[in-house]
Amino acid sequence: MKTMHPRLRELAFTLRRFLKNPLSVIGLSLVVIFGLIALLAPVLEPPKYADPYKIPHTGFHIEPSPPSAAHPLGTMQQQYDMLYGLVWGTRSAFRIGVLVVAANLFIGIILGVLAGYFGGLVDEVIMRITDIFFAIPFLVMAMALVVAIGRGLKAVVVVLIILGWPSYTRVLRSDILVTRGKDFILAARASGASHLRIMFTHIVPNALYSVLILASLNIGTTILTAAALSFLGLGSETGTADWGQIISLCRSWIVGTPGNRFAYWYTVFIPGFVISLFVLGWNLMGDAVRDVFDPRMRRR
Amino acid sequence: MSTALQTLVETSDLHTNFYTFEGVVRALNGVSIVVNRGETYGLVGESGCGKSVTVRSLMRIVQPPGRIDSGRIVLFLNERDRSRGIEILQRTETYMQSIRGSDISMIFQEPGAALNPVLSVLDQVGESYRLHRMEQMITETLAGLEGERTAMHRNSPRRAVRRLQAALLKAERRGLQRWAALVGRIDNELYLLEDRQDVEALARKESLNRGRDRARPRSGLASIARRVPLLRRYRRPINATIRRHVVELLRSLGIPNPENVVRRYPHELSGGMQQRIVIAIALACHPTLLIADEPTSNLDVTIQAQIVELIKDLKRTTISSVLFITHDLGLVAEVCDRVTVMYAGDVSETATVRELFRGPLHPYTAGLLASVPKVDQREELSMIPGAVPNLIRPPEGCRFHPRCPKRMEICEIQKPPTVEHSRGHWVACHLYPGRGNA
Amino acid sequence: MSLLAYIVRRLLLMVLVLIGVSLLVFTMMMLLPPGQRVAIYVTNDRVSPAMMDALIAKYGLNDPAPLQYFRWLRNLLHGEFGYSITASSPVLKGFARFLPVTLELVLYAAPLIILTGIFLGTLGAVRKDTAMDHVTRVLAIVGFSLPTFWLGLLLMMIFYGFLGIFPPGALSTDVRNIVFSDPTWHPYTHLVTIDAILNWRWQVFWDAFYRMILPTLNLVVINSALIMRLMRSSMLEALGQDYMMTARAKGADRKTLFRRHARRNAMLPVITISGITFAELMGSMVITETIFDRKGIGWWMAQAALQLDVAAIMFDVLFLGTIYVVVNLVVDLIYAYVDPRVRLS
Repeated sequence: MKTMHPRLRELAFTLRRFLKNPLSVIGLSLVVIFGLIALLAPVLEPPKYADPYKIPHTGFHIEPSPPSAAHPLGTMQQQYDMLYGLVWGTRSAFRIGVLVVAANLFIGIILGVLAGYFGGLVDEVIMRITDIFFAIPFLVMAMALVVAIGRGLKAVVVVLIILGWPSYTRVLRSDILVTRGKDFILAARASGASHLRIMFTHIVPNALYSVLILASLNIGTTILTAAALSFLGLGSETGTADWGQIISLCRSWIVGTPGNRFAYWYTVFIPGFVISLFVLGWNLMGDAVRDVFDPRMRRR
Repeated sequence: MSTALQTLVETSDLHTNFYTFEGVVRALNGVSIVVNRGETYGLVGESGCGKSVTVRSLMRIVQPPGRIDSGRIVLFLNERDRSRGIEILQRTETYMQSIRGSDISMIFQEPGAALNPVLSVLDQVGESYRLHRMEQMITETLAGLEGERTAMHRNSPRRAVRRLQAALLKAERRGLQRWAALVGRIDNELYLLEDRQDVEALARKESLNRGRDRARPRSGLASIARRVPLLRRYRRPINATIRRHVVELLRSLGIPNPENVVRRYPHELSGGMQQRIVIAIALACHPTLLIADEPTSNLDVTIQAQIVELIKDLKRTTISSVLFITHDLGLVAEVCDRVTVMYAGDVSETATVRELFRGPLHPYTAGLLASVPKVDQREELSMIPGAVPNLIRPPEGCRFHPRCPKRMEICEIQKPPTVEHSRGHWVACHLYPGRGNA
Repeated sequence: MSLLAYIVRRLLLMVLVLIGVSLLVFTMMMLLPPGQRVAIYVTNDRVSPAMMDALIAKYGLNDPAPLQYFRWLRNLLHGEFGYSITASSPVLKGFARFLPVTLELVLYAAPLIILTGIFLGTLGAVRKDTAMDHVTRVLAIVGFSLPTFWLGLLLMMIFYGFLGIFPPGALSTDVRNIVFSDPTWHPYTHLVTIDAILNWRWQVFWDAFYRMILPTLNLVVINSALIMRLMRSSMLEALGQDYMMTARAKGADRKTLFRRHARRNAMLPVITISGITFAELMGSMVITETIFDRKGIGWWMAQAALQLDVAAIMFDVLFLGTIYVVVNLVVDLIYAYVDPRVRLS
């Protein structure tokens, strides 16, 4: 047998497991496809206005129109083009998701490291603050905060950043507490390594996996919450390329015409389907990564 | 012990494999062992050599992804009629359930993990009685109730309640008896068919096995009463009976204050106490064979000695045979009559303890013995070079050859046959090719 | 004794968290201009722009924050929560009107969510790697990814829009007339289905029950996914433990193995997670009530957010926060009761 560095072998093994699971492959492909759509949005659907996130609309007629050559996925209420909205909506979903989760990670990791490593009063204060954040149902809290700082897509992003960090702090802190007591940390400390050095060379990397997995799962949840807020009318303005906003434009069209009861199915079905796929992709991927890294699941 | 030994259980050419993601782990590579009635039999080897897998195969509790792929296991429960062996691998799961814990039982390495954290000691030990001795429990309970009832006033309403209770218990017992009779009949027929391999017999065996699987203790009245709130309480005195038995059992195992201990949960007990509870679970139904899977390796030395003493005691008084797994040769010398040395899923050598320690034949056994420190040791402790092989791609031929000091060419090509070198001393090594001409 | 000490400790912690929640809500309020905050103090909506300055002065809305906080807290303790424009009544009155609608839905949905989750999760673990396992896993992850509002809209489109059954709204017009103006109707609990049984009005019961089916279905599909997944993984973990080997070695049958030995242990983490499920249920309640047009707390909350009904929103947050804290306490107590290791440590 060829000799390989154990880390490398471990990585190869992990990758093999990851790719062997059909669900994780589906998840990965969904994320990649959405990523490409977001990246290529200006090519796929060239913007009509200076602000590309404004969906072009042809007229103000209230009734949605079915898919046609000009509008491959049909139009929404007030003749907004569905395809354009969804393509640029993908881009804004990525922007929101990545921005919010990155900011959450940043705040969460700093506070988690402080709490987990220093313990004592610092830990107590930080953890009681997370307790308070956890004491209110997330969506309810987000709604109230959006109202308090003024509605709009920007407000939604700010609110999700303010409210999203505590779960990372908690996970990281408990991981650090577990790692801190491990023998190799004690060994490093006994051999005279400094606090900061131990922290960033030993503790954080060991505790980081679970946080990153959580982040991957949370991109989906973040998008769902943002869409829910837009759906409730607290997010972006009418006509913005934002998935929740698109769905809320379509919500009055569940009842068709007397002759054709599913007359407006496309307007309800398509945008929700796209959101679901996006969230599904991230969830499948996060799940697969978690399964692969979970030592308890490894040898089964 | 010179009289002809009676075989209790015998495995031959057992292959158990684990189908893991990384490949097939060939854990047992044709293991044949024989445990006789009345002996303490040792199974020795380094960790990962397949000792535990062997005994788990014996009880048929190998967990997926593991599977017993071929071989034979025959259990001789009937002392008088030697022809009535039970083919363990051909019986149904239901049949195995009736054997496990009743005729063969097992104690484990890590008593803390072997006990269910959310069930009390009473629940866990009592379960053995519930699973295998329910009829006896009901009979005893009824006797108790009878006594109580005669002591009561003739017209007292509580007496009527007792009557109803007794009637329900009797109904439940009748159901159990009917079931036991049916199962006994099926077992009898299966015994008679055991060694026959013709098509008709196989079909008949299969249908009998299925019939046994389907048979359930049924008692119309009692099974309804068991689901009705209030009425359900008729079974309470059974619990009291079981409790009495559990307390007695714990007391007989030298557990102080058993009335108190039965109410405890595993995490409230010390390691030694936990292991005694595990032993109690295994002993509840007086098994013929007790399998002890490294019962002392995770305990403190003093506790170890106590547990070993306890097992030796039990061997003298209650259990017929003990199969003792360990990696500690000192313990083997102390406890066992005969011993088998295993290496990487193979049986290397089997002999009486005395003979094995005096004249080990297999180079692996010799290496093992040399690596045990002695009190008057002067020179360096010797050790066997190398490590236990990976069982996904085990070495060809004799699995020990890469570490063997007496390696020959043939060792890399051919698996050595097991030969009886002298009477009762078996060895699998190419150094000893023929029978008795070393 | 130790259980009692545990309860006392948890109660103290709960008070602390509640104070934190109130501070959080207060901070959010302070982000708003004084003119909007007036609504939290007044008792009717007859506020003209001319009176505004007087009211701001009267309630001291430009005072230092700590002063305002304690004044607000005092009001809360006196049950004064301001005036809600969406309910067109004082907040507490509106709350009394909206709460039963939500409570009734929770009463039906919550047990169903927990049972479905536990049942399907156990099924998946027991039949690991079979078709049944794959189906339940896919179901769980889909339930996890579906937006609540989209599933609700789809259900409405198919059942109401296409098949013409399960109309939105909590009650039909006829039945509403009975419930709100029939003198022979006794609202014992204000939960319509239960009152209908107590009043022996089957028509009312059926109407209320019938309209609850779709919203319940919506909540169950979305919210049981978490429990289902946790139950599956913790059941698998329990099945791999050493004590399962002990149980098998003593001859336990499948039923005893799964129900008595594995499930009891596997349920422990599920108890902990049910608090989180409750919070998520509250979130999806806002959406579900909005879509199915049931005028409960969630619907009220959504309306209030749209119309900047500050008094109602702040009250709802405070209320749901309190409820959630209490639910978590109950969950922890149940856990301590079920797991002997916590009970005595």
